[in-house]
Amino acid sequence: MVDITDPKRTKQAASRRDFLKAGLLGGAAVAASAGVARAAGDPLITEIQDWNRYLGEGVDVAPYGKPSEFEANVVRRNVPWLTADPVSSINFTPLHELDGIITPNGLCFERHHGGTAIINPADHRLMINGLVDTPLVFTMEDLKRFPRENRVYFLECAANGGMEWRGSQLNGCQFTHGMIHCVVYTGVPLRYLLEEAGVKTNGKWLLAEGADASAMTRSIPMEKALDDCLVAFKMNGEALRPEQGYPLRLCVPGWEGNMWVKWLRRLEVGDEPWAQREETSKYTDLLANGKARRHTWVMDVKSVITSPSPQAPVTHGKGPLVITGLAWSGNGTIKRVDVTLDGGRTWQTARLDGPSLPKALHRFYLDINWDGSELLLQSRAIDDQGLVQPTKNELRAARGENSIYHNNGIQTWHVNNDGVVENVEVS
Amino acid sequence: MLKFPKSAALAVLALTAFASPSLADGDADAGQKVFKKCAACHAVGDGAKHKVGPELNDVFGRTAGSAEGYKYSNAMSEAGQGGLVWDAETLSTYLAKPKDMIKGTKMAFAGLKKDDDIANVLAYLKTFSQETAAAPAAVETGKTPVETADAGAAVEAAPAAEMAVEKSQGAFGLGRKAMPDEIAAWDIDVRPDGTGLPEGRGTVAEGEPIFVENCAVCHGDFGEGAGRWPVLAGGQDTLRNDRPEKTIGSYWPYLSTVFDYVRRAMPFGNARSLSDDDVYALTAYLMYLNDIVDDEEFELSKDNFASVHLPNEANFIPDDRASEPHYAKGIEPCMSECKPGPVKITARAQVIDVTPEGEGDENSGGGID
Ligand code: HEC
Ligand code: HEC
Repeated sequence: MVDITDPKRTKQAASRRDFLKAGLLGGAAVAASAGVARAAGDPLITEIQDWNRYLGEGVDVAPYGKPSEFEANVVRRNVPWLTADPVSSINFTPLHELDGIITPNGLCFERHHGGTAIINPADHRLMINGLVDTPLVFTMEDLKRFPRENRVYFLECAANGGMEWRGSQLNGCQFTHGMIHCVVYTGVPLRYLLEEAGVKTNGKWLLAEGADASAMTRSIPMEKALDDCLVAFKMNGEALRPEQGYPLRLCVPGWEGNMWVKWLRRLEVGDEPWAQREETSKYTDLLANGKARRHTWVMDVKSVITSPSPQAPVTHGKGPLVITGLAWSGNGTIKRVDVTLDGGRTWQTARLDGPSLPKALHRFYLDINWDGSELLLQSRAIDDQGLVQPTKNELRAARGENSIYHNNGIQTWHVNNDGVVENVEVS
Repeated sequence: MLKFPKSAALAVLALTAFASPSLADGDADAGQKVFKKCAACHAVGDGAKHKVGPELNDVFGRTAGSAEGYKYSNAMSEAGQGGLVWDAETLSTYLAKPKDMIKGTKMAFAGLKKDDDIANVLAYLKTFSQETAAAPAAVETGKTPVETADAGAAVEAAPAAEMAVEKSQGAFGLGRKAMPDEIAAWDIDVRPDGTGLPEGRGTVAEGEPIFVENCAVCHGDFGEGAGRWPVLAGGQDTLRNDRPEKTIGSYWPYLSTVFDYVRRAMPFGNARSLSDDDVYALTAYLMYLNDIVDDEEFELSKDNFASVHLPNEANFIPDDRASEPHYAKGIEPCMSECKPGPVKITARAQVIDVTPEGEGDENSGGGID
């Protein structure tokens, strides 16, 4: 089970963990704690509580506000064995604790290849060079004088789910699907900057480069660069977080997260791709026949149930149960999400709620009356191009098990009679 | 701006050396060179931060395993709790054979073989330790760049203004023309056809000692990878195996990527510290480790670079995901009686259970790369 390591963890969290550990309690016993009639009234109501009598803290105690102390377990977590060193590593968004479609800035998963670069915006420069009429240098101040746009986009690492190719491995959607986040970006359309420099007619490719210790680089076709890419400096209304590329990052909507170069310092226009390390050694998809696909940029149609899930078991017993999850597609919007309770024999269409924006997360719900029997939960997304999320076995049949990247297979959660949830695969 | 803190740091060095000429028998200047072996993992000096290893300011007099904000191995923390304090003697022992002195230390470094190197590197480190006689003055000087960060920005703004600023000709007239030396400083990318290669050359034989000194701590003497650090050689003919080993020799399509990546990002934690000739020599050595050349005198240069081809180049194909059967157009997903009988569980995460649980972080499954 996932450890709730924070010493200040809440009572609720502690009891949930004990519950998970024991895993023996019957559904009925659990239900009891949820409010069965008592002889005397609930002391939380009949007795006057401290917070009802004594004054709380005034304004300005926390000039930058933080979540409630009772939410201390809602944090990014990593899987230490995955990488050699935390400086070139990854952690995961706690999807099971979130709702809606927007990820709070402090919970957006991190992946860097040379640690978080700390850059004073006054010291940051963006250069455009290569096949352009005039190579240019912009300061952050310059960039903030171009017309801006606000766009909601998901960013998914191409390796999201990469640990699950050979079978279900990690117990929690934070770990199986947490290399994704979705925020509203404010930035300048990349097109404006390229037009300012004047792209030559043979300029067909763009190299984006970061200023960090890995000097991250990716080749992007000019068509995409001129279409919907943004050079962003804000996320969810505030400055980018350092770990998300402060002061400047590239947004490449719908395409793999590695291309969204952080600490963006240079854009070079060229007539051919550069075959950089992150598009040869990495981010190429090895197939069973020994061939490897390259330039697999688009993130496929995908979904996952975020609750119930292994880190968010059913603790309330039988009765009304909210099944909820996320769906997304790098091709556009999500048209429909289906949910099955029996491992894929019968499906029902879930309710999409909240904004439906292209290349953004979509939130779905299925409200059921749980009878306490075992469930094999899955969700299946269909995007506006009509592409249907495949099963893991369909993907394996087409690609083998060594692709690492682009695993968008249907996820199964097993819910037992006690509400304990496990990551499984089914026939 | 960049130059400013650097020269200030030099001033600190000079000052310290001056104030305490006979501090150590080692030579701090020579020690600065030795420290290159440590720099991949450790920072020292003004504003030094933790990298793979802890920052080493004030390491003299430091209780082992006590730098704030750094996560030590249990072995190192315990050594500190047991009373180990770093001084010339304890440091000499540790640096000679880290793992002999502290079993279980996670410093993946074999040790310094020469006593001179140890004495020199310690003399160098000592210039960054408060214990030094000149410490108070040095520390104050050392702080200057930080305290005057704003002044630094002002200094930097001046030359920018002085430069014959050529405005952009674009629709917005924002930004300024990039200077040739600026483009040269940042535009170091190399393409498979050799575009972008700098002048230079290096042989396999020249590459070996550079690799042993700068790369082997992490990647192993033969590119086999120390611990979980990346493997750089071997794995030929494994791409169709259950566990393929993807290396430069077995997987990478182009040699240009090796040159480009090593020059921009390696050694990890000390990027852009190698000369172009070093990078040619290292690239040649990596070819040798991958059996692409077998002659130690083989010389790689700008001239013959584009003629080299890696064995796996032909095996990269365009993205054809759209041709997979499950993405065929017009599929109407099944809604009922989609499977013959009750569904069975075929695999469970609990059997493998590698979900992190605080300690105990063994790798038993696939990776994210
Ligand atoms: C491959 C990375 C690596 C290299 C190279 C390396 N170190 Fe370390 N060093 C570490 C790590 C990691 C630790 C923490 C050890 C632990 O917690 O067990 C460490 C710990 C230390 C410590 C103890 C510091 C403390 O706070 O207790 C000293 C001193 C030290 N290293 C000096 C050096 C010197 C000098 C060199 C070069 C001659 C060097 N190291 C080379 C990774 C490295
Ligand atoms: C302190 C440890 C360390 C040292 C020293 C080091 N590397 Fe690396 N190397 C890494 C890490 C970590 C990565 C992967 C970085 C990432 O995640 O992006 C890497 C990646 C590489 C790769 C790409 C591997 C792949 O399969 O994609 C090459 C090539 C490489 N290093 C060469 C070198 C050379 C040459 C040197 C010496 C000049 C060197 N490294 C020194 C840690 C190190």
